[in-house]
Amino acid sequence: MKTAIDVQDLWKSYSGIPAVRGMSMRVAQGEVFGLLGANGAGKSTAIECILGTKKADRGSAAILGLDPQQQRSQLFEQVGVQFQEASYPDKIKVGELCEETCCLYRKAADYHFLLNQLGLTEKKKNFVSELSGGEKQRLFIVLALIPNPKVVFLDELTTGLDPRARREVWKCLLEMKKAGLSIFLTSHFMEEVELLCDRVAVLKKGDVVFCGTVNEMIRKSPYERLEQAYLWFTDEEEEIENL
Amino acid sequence: MKTFKTMLKIELKLSLRGMDMFIFAICLPVVMVILLGFIYGDRPAFSGAEYTFFEQSFGALATISICAGGVMGLPLLISDYRHRKILKRFQVTPVSPSRILMVHIGIYAIYAIVSVILIYIISAIFFGYRMEGSLVWFAVTYLLVMLSMFSIGMVVGGLAPDQKTAGIAASILYFPMLIFSGATLPYEVMPEVFQKIANVLPLTQGIKLLKIVSLGEPAALGIVPMVFLTVLLVLCSGIAVRFFRWE
Repeated sequence: MKTAIDVQDLWKSYSGIPAVRGMSMRVAQGEVFGLLGANGAGKSTAIECILGTKKADRGSAAILGLDPQQQRSQLFEQVGVQFQEASYPDKIKVGELCEETCCLYRKAADYHFLLNQLGLTEKKKNFVSELSGGEKQRLFIVLALIPNPKVVFLDELTTGLDPRARREVWKCLLEMKKAGLSIFLTSHFMEEVELLCDRVAVLKKGDVVFCGTVNEMIRKSPYERLEQAYLWFTDEEEEIENL
Repeated sequence: MKTFKTMLKIELKLSLRGMDMFIFAICLPVVMVILLGFIYGDRPAFSGAEYTFFEQSFGALATISICAGGVMGLPLLISDYRHRKILKRFQVTPVSPSRILMVHIGIYAIYAIVSVILIYIISAIFFGYRMEGSLVWFAVTYLLVMLSMFSIGMVVGGLAPDQKTAGIAASILYFPMLIFSGATLPYEVMPEVFQKIANVLPLTQGIKLLKIVSLGEPAALGIVPMVFLTVLLVLCSGIAVRFFRWE
């Protein structure tokens, strides 16, 4: 299988405090890969180093065989990204944000079609700031899909959504998965991870403490549920007893 | 080109929705033209002058919108887009930093050009203004003044660590230049001490140049301000591109 994302011995620290310590992983094309870990475990830093928006202290990351810093413009023709904090100008409408995003790419998808697919056609003329949480997240999926990407990065896409909105987003992601897209996501919802991810990596204070399939993760722990296994790997045992 | 046009169209819409540039770059110059026109009418600039006070002021009035866009609008917009991580979103797309800067320069250039055409029409219709100098040369020097002022704005927006600093720096540049360089208060009526201080402001040099060209005075007089502005433009654009930060 071809490699979509290749990370080799990635290190990053902020003013001496390590955030990511020697991360290595490989995501195959068509695979859905989940990066798990508590808040502050280094997930966002890892994503940013992989995407080249932060410079790693050591190690390398390549997406589709391209260096995200040296070959930025070539790479991002084929990669869609949704960052944790959504960022759009004040007073921009849904249609305008899509149109502006489209014009950045040589071969952009038809955003009308994507909006329709994600049930946002009616909202084209609305201001982005007027959308509900779920609608906004679906809009960000549309934006990440506009480049017709081979790989998408989704950082905590469903955080802050109600269960119904979250399920809607999952449905979209499953369809993307079926279409053969490689997805790199971070999440705090183990139900979501079990449903979507082929493989996961668990970060604990910047270290990768586990990398493999969901089933392997459960088997390697003394527990039977992913959530318990996750807490066990991240050493938050007291909380396990409270579950 | 498609990227540039679409971005320009959408960002211009957003800018117009914001209204502040419309007020400071379009309405303010028009109000100033009408005020100066009524106050000074066709009085000569000084006793024995061949041109009127109003004719002398036209070049200065034409720069009000440049000043609003270049040293207020542009730095605030760049630092705002960085602060809100809008630039970071662009960083994970194929678009280049210079393309983004060009789009915003384009928007403020549109404001400036619309404003100068508008005040020319108003001056011509209501105050009988005719430009003595060559219109083509005025257009060329106007673009030079505009781009050099915009390049200052890009440096401020690019180097300011946060929005607050950008706001303070923009105000420190904007208000003295607007008041002392002759864009609103005529340079000629200021005491000599103020004139000396005003001389070091880049906009003062720009206004001097536009005044020389619009009054049809010998081109040789314009060489110093022209060189000054060109050096400023090259220097500031270099710094702006070199030190561009997405985040």
